[in-house]
Amino acid sequence: MMRGLRRVAALFFVGVLTVGAHSASAAELKIGFVYPSPVGDVGWAHELDNGRKAIEAAFGDRVETVVAENIPEGPDASRIMNQMASTGAKMIMLGSFGYMNDGLKLAKKRPDMTFIHASGYKLADNFGNFQTRNYESAYLAGIGAGFVTKSNILGIVAAYPIPEVVGIINAFTMGAQLVNQGVSVKVVWLNSWFDPSKAQESARSLVSQKADVLLSLYQDTPSVVTVAEEMGVYVVPTSSDMKKYAPNHLLVSQQIDWGPHFVEMVKNTLDGNFKGIPYWGGMKEGAVRMESWTPNLSADQMSVINEKTAELKAGAFHPFTGPIVDQAGATKLADGEVIEDGALLGINWLVKGVETKLPD
Amino acid sequence: MTETLIFICAGTMAAATPILFAAMGELVVERTGVLNLSIEGMMATGAAAAFAVATVYESSLLGFAVATISAGLLSVVFATLTLIFLANQVAAGLAVGILGLGVSALIGKKHEGFTIEPLKSVDWGFLSDIPVVGRILFQHDFVLYAGILLIAIVWFVLTRTKLGLIIKAVGEAPEAAHAIGYPVILIRFLAVFFGGAMAGLGGAYLTLAYTPLWAEGLVAGRGWIAVALVVFGSWRAHRVALGAYLFGAISLLELSIQGLGLAIPSQVLSAAPYVMTIVILVLISRDARQIRLNSPASLGVTYRHQS
Repeated sequence: MMRGLRRVAALFFVGVLTVGAHSASAAELKIGFVYPSPVGDVGWAHELDNGRKAIEAAFGDRVETVVAENIPEGPDASRIMNQMASTGAKMIMLGSFGYMNDGLKLAKKRPDMTFIHASGYKLADNFGNFQTRNYESAYLAGIGAGFVTKSNILGIVAAYPIPEVVGIINAFTMGAQLVNQGVSVKVVWLNSWFDPSKAQESARSLVSQKADVLLSLYQDTPSVVTVAEEMGVYVVPTSSDMKKYAPNHLLVSQQIDWGPHFVEMVKNTLDGNFKGIPYWGGMKEGAVRMESWTPNLSADQMSVINEKTAELKAGAFHPFTGPIVDQAGATKLADGEVIEDGALLGINWLVKGVETKLPD
Repeated sequence: MTETLIFICAGTMAAATPILFAAMGELVVERTGVLNLSIEGMMATGAAAAFAVATVYESSLLGFAVATISAGLLSVVFATLTLIFLANQVAAGLAVGILGLGVSALIGKKHEGFTIEPLKSVDWGFLSDIPVVGRILFQHDFVLYAGILLIAIVWFVLTRTKLGLIIKAVGEAPEAAHAIGYPVILIRFLAVFFGGAMAGLGGAYLTLAYTPLWAEGLVAGRGWIAVALVVFGSWRAHRVALGAYLFGAISLLELSIQGLGLAIPSQVLSAAPYVMTIVILVLISRDARQIRLNSPASLGVTYRHQS
């Protein structure tokens, strides 16, 4: 019933937009956007929508965008994207991992269209995907955490132990270890993509165990951030700048910026030379950047951070550079060895210094 | 260690409160012989309505009031279907519950992804400053204390008053209650409304105090837990309340254990509150005679008005 209601609402929404589209002046390219969650004022869908705004700012009247938000993965998503395709969209941005197979099916059927898909791994000539190298920003945030922690305990609230999340935990830990050998890191797994009350209680539980810096890892709501502000510990959010939810205790925000990549893909589509590529953007590409560093770091400390930031931006440094030892003490990367992208995409071990074990 | 203890004890009181409200309401409903399975939907409706009102009018009190009314209205739908049109209680409960989830999504849509100021703690003066105990007991908002008061009231009414006897008579033997002149349908109707209103309050506590934001699916099964607690607590107020606190405590303990780095798979820990609460309640209420004595004999049975 709820699915049904939602479906009706979503179709109605697309319908309204389509009617609107017909009355508008004909743009060169109509682009559809499908988001898994509501746009809200921070978080994943919010950042995807900022990417859409960047496209509108760059191309003006040449493009026209339509949006469907809060679309569950599965048949609803498939229906929405087909609807978009049949009402003139020539390009579609799919904002969630689970849209991959339906999107790919549509892409094979419609070689005249182009698709970009968030965080998947399948590709076609007209179907590319995009992710961020959030481990780079997590490394920098980790350095800051290593400086400000007094208890030497850092806490992470994380959703599921997937490779991307594991990589971020490792990078955060190694960043802290760069400036503070004594840190240990505690992780609470929520085993849920979305559970604000559990995220909030996890944050409280970590603070009660002496963690004084929290990393809110892919929590779409600011629940962990508000708890940190309330309890007076530093916090690092992912995806969006959340300064306004923790004006005093935000250590730094890891801000995602899809704008440059989206604009490039639209340009390629307009020029007729779109290629389905896997895009993995980091600090160098401007896909992720640090926002709102706390003013409480000293000039010396900031200069360490700025130096690493510059190296990452220049592509001169990789956080996963050996020697790296895992929790069990086994050497994962030899001295000077840099991890390959393939290995990083499938990473399933935690570095020494993380206390919590990975669930099997 | 003290910090962890305070976290678990103080957190339990807050975590149990939404479930407590819903379960106390459902207890009264079931005592009159009606099985209302739509608690989850009513909590969601209350939660969304409260948040919407509190965001727009910036008043938590108004939010709680609107939550009570809106979830109460939804329970009127359920009561009308089952008590007047004699629909099957299980089927009607499920349908109204799903309706409630849909309504909550509709109401909350515009306010998704935003936050508000949570409720302020009550000022207990010097009591709040007592080490450990002060932080566990005296640093909460007024609704949480109202929840504790509600346990006492429901317990008192059910076991010590004539009203309680009437409620139980209607649940045990509606025909007999009718024969001696009690308006069975009206009493059940009012009980269902009370249950809905309490579920709405529980939902409102989630969005106004506990996690000050709204998102679809926020209630996350708490309504179902409330229904289960009433049954496994063998329809007695103090056991149902114990169950709610137990559930809260174990779900917080789970998070602390994860942070301590013990080698228990986190998936097992995530399931623990559900399993443990039910196992413990079943164990303490395993006396078959007590269960027969306390379980309302006409629970879930449609009552036909005979004149």
